[in-house]
Amino acid sequence: MDIQFSAEEQRFREECRDWLHANVPAEKRPMDAADAIAFDKAWQRRLFDAGWAGINWPTEYGGRGLSIVQQVIWLEEYAKAHAPWIGANFVGVNHGGPTLIINASEAQKEYHLPRILKGESIWCQGFSEPGAGSDLAGIKTRARIEGNELVINGSKIWTSFAHVADWQELVLRTEEGSQRHRGLSWVICDMHAPGIEIRPIRKISGQVEFAQVFYDDVRIPLDNVVGGLGNGWKVAMSTLSFERGTGFIADQVKQSQEISELLERARATGAIKDDRIAEQLMQMRAEVTALRAMTYRNISEVVRNGQPGPEASVIRLFTSELGQRLQRMALLLMGDDVLDFRYGDDNRVAEYLRGFAATIAGGTAQIQRDIIAERVLGLPKSR
Amino acid sequence: MDLTPNSEQEALLTATADWCRDNMPLEQARNRHPALWNQLAEMGWLGMTAPGMDLDHATEALVFAELGRHLAPVGMISSAVAARWSGHQGKTALALLDRDLTGGLLRVYDAPGATHALGLVGGLAALTALPSDLGGEPGLDLSAPLAHIDPAPPFTALGDPRAALHLQLLSAAFAVGVAEAARDMAAEYAKMREQFERPIGWFQALKHICADMAVRAAVARSQLLYAACSLDAGDADAAFHIASAKHLADQAAIDNGRANIQVHGGIGMTDEAYPHLCLKRAHLLTFVAPPERGVILGEAA
Repeated sequence: MDIQFSAEEQRFREECRDWLHANVPAEKRPMDAADAIAFDKAWQRRLFDAGWAGINWPTEYGGRGLSIVQQVIWLEEYAKAHAPWIGANFVGVNHGGPTLIINASEAQKEYHLPRILKGESIWCQGFSEPGAGSDLAGIKTRARIEGNELVINGSKIWTSFAHVADWQELVLRTEEGSQRHRGLSWVICDMHAPGIEIRPIRKISGQVEFAQVFYDDVRIPLDNVVGGLGNGWKVAMSTLSFERGTGFIADQVKQSQEISELLERARATGAIKDDRIAEQLMQMRAEVTALRAMTYRNISEVVRNGQPGPEASVIRLFTSELGQRLQRMALLLMGDDVLDFRYGDDNRVAEYLRGFAATIAGGTAQIQRDIIAERVLGLPKSR
Repeated sequence: MDLTPNSEQEALLTATADWCRDNMPLEQARNRHPALWNQLAEMGWLGMTAPGMDLDHATEALVFAELGRHLAPVGMISSAVAARWSGHQGKTALALLDRDLTGGLLRVYDAPGATHALGLVGGLAALTALPSDLGGEPGLDLSAPLAHIDPAPPFTALGDPRAALHLQLLSAAFAVGVAEAARDMAAEYAKMREQFERPIGWFQALKHICADMAVRAAVARSQLLYAACSLDAGDADAAFHIASAKHLADQAAIDNGRANIQVHGGIGMTDEAYPHLCLKRAHLLTFVAPPERGVILGEAA
């Protein structure tokens, strides 16, 4: 065991640092939704052109084909350079794309992967439904097969970027009368297809960042099924296991920036002289550094064995809850200024409020605890 | 960068776990055989990083977490530190002093058979000679024979400040072991004990207690391994990483120790059952080289 990076990795780190230093935009991501999407797309394109998109994606689809360790180095430097949040490209780059790499046909990969990396197509997710949240297998959105088309009816909810997305990773029931995990399919849905209606939903932070999506006889080619008809559960799980593996590294790196900033502020304002604040900051600084150690351990596991160990689910849970503790501390340090928060403000109060999603989206903290108890500790399955 | 054990370390860990199960089971922690110390010395565990042994702190930390999981004698920690940074081989007792040490009471663990004791004095690891007839009776930790010397005799500090980091690292490793022992004990009991006609581990209320134990143990173990590597690498931040590891390991050991008793219910309240042994050991370890807040916050001492 050692914590030293190789000479090649250190050169790569310098390469990342130099490019980011020269290219990170000075202006902030715009608040206006349309401007923000244009900003996200332009930034993604710039990353792609310079060879920084899809660092560990296969080269034949526009990636760099580098190691996962280099991917981590890039993300570390990315956060240190205060480079922009991935924004609307999140689902495509971190979710849809990796799922396609594992499960899709050659034609699907050839078409979609380069477009994702170039920021040309925006993706959204269609897993949760009004009646299927934690119980994802309770999906009711369905499709009947007519000729070489799927005809889709139903509704999805909590869909981020639905209003700007070109494509959706949509899990639905393609086998009539099927139950639970069986009879589901993972489909690439064209968000511009007739019969799709999007109703935006406002969050507790005031932002309109997600939506409910309705499907009324939406026709999608059968060729858009990924991983075969009826295999949707397996395909969806491969995405979720990716999330539990390396999908949250960016968040983890951001948290180490966050604790440094909080410490700086607590020193500047003198808040650190309050023992209760100092105690909490100490706790979080130790936890943030342990999270990095845990991430490195997980990455080492991937390098050694080709996949993350079962403890990857622990990282996912710990990251989300630690992030919320950091956001709570940021609020504490603001004092009574928090009371002046208004919808439209993009500040730490907004981050704190949006941050509640971390223990809800992509599997609640409670579901994560079930997974840890059952898969890491071997307790009996209760579902 | 690699934070997974290599095949040699894996083999060493398996051998250590097997030996502990056969010769030093947790269940006998309060009745250790007097010959145990000779066996521990023969296994080479009292001087893994001593000059001439050439093992690194990462390997040592892995092994000590395994030893700690079986509630090995706490004097192993002080013995390993003494072997690395002074000429004292074999058994060296563990000394605990008040932090501002003028006079005051000295507590000594695992004194029988040791000529010296090692502890922290003013932030440095230091040695003192022990009277030859010093015995020991169990205190809070029923698995650690404790003797008192009042007032404390004079100590001689070891020259290298890394000796104190080493002491903190190995006590963190022991605490990680305790946290994992409590986690596994709770999980096993939750699978076996039945109420409402099913294992109690079926219920989410119990599952989530156990999952939190797994999180705490995993967090502490990760930071322990990173900290050990940072000491090996001579990293400028080694003191910060080791203090963080110690803080999280102590917390995991105490919290898991407490949760383990809760999961065991009434049985957990009994002297006869084992959960209290883990909790009591965890409390003892919090007094061994406790981390300083300023070090974790990155403030100048």
